[in-house]
Amino acid sequence: MNLIKWEKSDPLDSLTHIQREMSDLFDFLSSAPQMEGYVNVEYPPIIVSMNEENVFVRAELPGIKVSDLDVQVVNDILTMKGERKFTPDPAKATYLRRERDYGTFARSIVLPEKVDAEKVTASYKNGVLTVKLPKAPESKPRQVVIKKS
Amino acid sequence: MEKKELPAVGKKKISSDKCVVTGKGNWYFPLSDIYETPDNFTILIDMPGAGIENINIDLQDNELVVNGEVSQEAYTDEKVVYNEYNIGHYHRHFVISDAVNRDKIEAKMSDGVLSLVLPKAEHVKPRKIEVKAE
Repeated sequence: MNLIKWEKSDPLDSLTHIQREMSDLFDFLSSAPQMEGYVNVEYPPIIVSMNEENVFVRAELPGIKVSDLDVQVVNDILTMKGERKFTPDPAKATYLRRERDYGTFARSIVLPEKVDAEKVTASYKNGVLTVKLPKAPESKPRQVVIKKS
Repeated sequence: MEKKELPAVGKKKISSDKCVVTGKGNWYFPLSDIYETPDNFTILIDMPGAGIENINIDLQDNELVVNGEVSQEAYTDEKVVYNEYNIGHYHRHFVISDAVNRDKIEAKMSDGVLSLVLPKAEHVKPRKIEVKAE
């Protein structure tokens, strides 16, 4: 019969060990080439910003023709659709490196404020789509006059 | 070519453990394609947000260095409420061989995509050899 000597050790020691292992693991993971961590992002990734008058939605969409882009606003939902076309003629070109992708995309977002759908404008410059959505009058800040009684 | 959906690819940040980043702002590694046609090599680089005036292309020895800076002026009076990507400058370099005619490199920018056309040097262009009848 084998007897195993019971080490009188602090049970917390093993926790410390796990903690060290985990911290090593995190160090290892974070030293890998960094992809910026936005999980489950749909294409195109967007930035939504606001000032007092407008809501802005921006998306980086390089290499798309304006005629292939479609922006719609229905109530408070903004839809961006489009297609990025494959540029060179594949019969003539031999690819040496391929990182960029092509295809169709569609994305809808719920806007943070009520907007005036009639006055929405969109511009496309240097591959960045900017949709400017003026806020509806009811969602603009209103000054309330306090009466002294 | 069949239709497919564009996948969302995160931007690759140039981290400071690989190189020393000086200057303001983030720097990113732009995605690029390289393809070959009988007369040229073409490099396509996605640099959304970089204007023509902010793109610098340098050829030093064998290295073609492309830098594109992006201005963030538009955001000065806006408050960002939701954010899925960061804005930053772009940097990428390519090593080119003798197969490229360096005097005739051309660059074009359209819709945020920079295209560099590198003409092949005469000695690497495909040549047809005719068979003579004896």
